[in-house]
Order: sequence, then structure tokens, then C-alpha cells
Amino acid sequence: MKKILIIEDDSFLQGLEAGKLEKEGYNVITASSGQEAMKKINEPDIDIILQDLVLPDFDGFEILKKIKETDKLKNVPVIVFSNLSEPKEVKQAKDLGATDFMVKSNFTLDELVQKIKSILK
Amino acid sequence: MEEIEKLKNENEQLKRMNENKSDIISITTHQLRTSFSALKWILKMFIEGDVGNLTDEQNELIQKAYVSNERMLRLVNDLLILNHSEDISISYNFKKVDIIKLIEQIIFEFYGESVKKEIGLIFLKPEPEIQEINCDEEMTRVVLQNLIENSIKYSNKNGKVFVSVKEEDGFIKISVHDAGIGIKEEDKDNIFKKFFRAHNAIEKDIVGSGLGLFTTKNIVEKHNGKIWFENQKEGGTTFFVSLPIK
Repeated sequence: MKKILIIEDDSFLQGLEAGKLEKEGYNVITASSGQEAMKKINEPDIDIILQDLVLPDFDGFEILKKIKETDKLKNVPVIVFSNLSEPKEVKQAKDLGATDFMVKSNFTLDELVQKIKSILK
Repeated sequence: MEEIEKLKNENEQLKRMNENKSDIISITTHQLRTSFSALKWILKMFIEGDVGNLTDEQNELIQKAYVSNERMLRLVNDLLILNHSEDISISYNFKKVDIIKLIEQIIFEFYGESVKKEIGLIFLKPEPEIQEINCDEEMTRVVLQNLIENSIKYSNKNGKVFVSVKEEDGFIKISVHDAGIGIKEEDKDNIFKKFFRAHNAIEKDIVGSGLGLFTTKNIVEKHNGKIWFENQKEGGTTFFVSLPIK
């Protein structure tokens, strides 16, 4: 069973994302803040990370940078899943090593699942 | 000297006001998108039957709510792009861009959607290849995305959208042709106006904010380019964009 870490501060959206991914057979762990994310990234065998950028305590780009600097996570794909979408924000995320940048409001949860499946193939 | 100081201060004040406006738009659109995302996902769950079966009446209402939500999302997205294109504090980043490569990337982006709608999306690549042009790549991308998206949106099933580009007298001329609903005579003078939506688009209940072509024209003109369109005799429309190479 593939393991996904969801970093999302909005509890409602987090619940919807986690619920959908669990239904699709993924082992889901969640973090609602940057601080919590920094703890959860130490869990073993994370296969993919779904990360928001607007977090209550940390700059999401800093979290992404820290993830990519962590030895055991540098090759783990990170999908930035955010409602920010300025070209400079997308570029910054990709330059920091994000595998993909998806604007939440442009995708259904089914489409998110399809993207995750295609990355994990 | 006093006059110059006064103008400097006014200029600084305007810059601050502009930055505040941009910040407000950025924060507001982010919050709006968060709410609309939740609604989009929940409505889709109902439509897909993830939370049980709906009656026909319930299904019809939920579908309408979904379309309405998509319309609001579209408006928010278009407002953001418009804000970015008009923001005087963001200077356009002009550099040499391979326009063929850019068009190919965008065609690839829209391929899935065109297949879903059973529309053929074809790029008529020029021979010989044309030189790179001096433009803001991201804003030019927005122009091409808007025109191609419109062509797909306003095409009928099994229709074809053709994208072509050629060099002409120091300019590159891009054309995006569809065989879709066309633009009515009474709408021609208004098609590039802010918030304008053509009557036949509204009649067909096609989602749109009325900002796409206004923003597109804005960007093209910032490049010292031109945008215009022609209705085809056999139906459909061709939009043309001319951009200076240097």
C-alpha cells in the first residue's frame, strides 16, 4: 500500500483529500502545519507528498526546500497542491524540486488521484 | 524642485496603492478559491454517486450548482490573470522565446480536453522553422491558452481547431481557427470589451467570465502587437495575433 503525506492546513479540504485517497487504497498521513509536517516527514516509507503552500506557521516554499534537502525524501515526488498560481510561484516550486504544481480549484479529486497514480507508476 | 518632490511623493503613493490592490486581490482570490475548491469536490462527489444515489431532480440541481461554481472559479482565475497583466509594478519580462515550442507545449496541455470533447486539435507547424521572438513568455502563453481554449469551448463535437504560425515582415502571425459557433454581427464591436459575453455563447450556456479576450488584447498590445478575428463563410472563427519579432 503506497503511503501519502498530505500537508494541508484547511481541515475541511484535508479531510476531503484524505478521505478520497484512503478510499482509493492509499495509506494516508496528514500534517496541518509546517511544524507538524517537519515531524511527519520523519515517518518511514513515504512514497509521495501532497503539499499546500499557504500554511499558518511556515512559508510553504521553505517546507518544500527542507523536504528536498532531507536525504531520504529527496527522490520522493512532491505535488504542490495550492490555490496560488502566479507563474513566479509555479516556477519557484518547480525550481525547488516539485514534481508537479496543481491548482486545487482547477481539479476534481478524481483528477488528483489520476495524477498521483501516473506519478507513482 | 518642489514640483518634482511632489510628483515623486505622488508616484510613491500610487505605487503603494497599486501594491496594496495587488495584495488584496491575491489574498481574496486565494480565499475564494479555497471555498470554491471544497464546493467543487463535494458537488462532484454527489454527481459521481460517492455518497449514494440521487433522484433525477436532485441530480439536475446539483449539476446546475456545479456549473455555477465552475463559472465563479473561472471568473476568479480570469480576474487573477487580468490583474497580473495590468499590474504596472510587474514589468513584462521580455526575452527570446521559441514560439513553435511554446505552441507545442500548449497544444499538449489541451490535448486531453480536446479528446474529451471529441475536437481535433491540430498544429500546422511551419516549414522552414521561424526565428525566436522577443516577448514575455508567460503572458504570451496566456494569450495562446485563451485563444485555443476558446476555440475548443465554442467548437461543435467532431469539429477541428487549427493553430498555425508564420513570419511576415518582421512579425509573427499566429492564427487559431475553429469551425464553431462564430461571432454574430451584433457582437463584433464588443468582443474585446471587459465582461462582454457574446449572445450565442450565453444561449449555449458555455461557461465564461467575459475577461479572456479583454485580457488577451491587453497583453498583445503591451507587446506592440495586434489581435483581430474573421468569421469564416463555412462557419466558425479565426483569431489572428501579430507580434513583432524584435
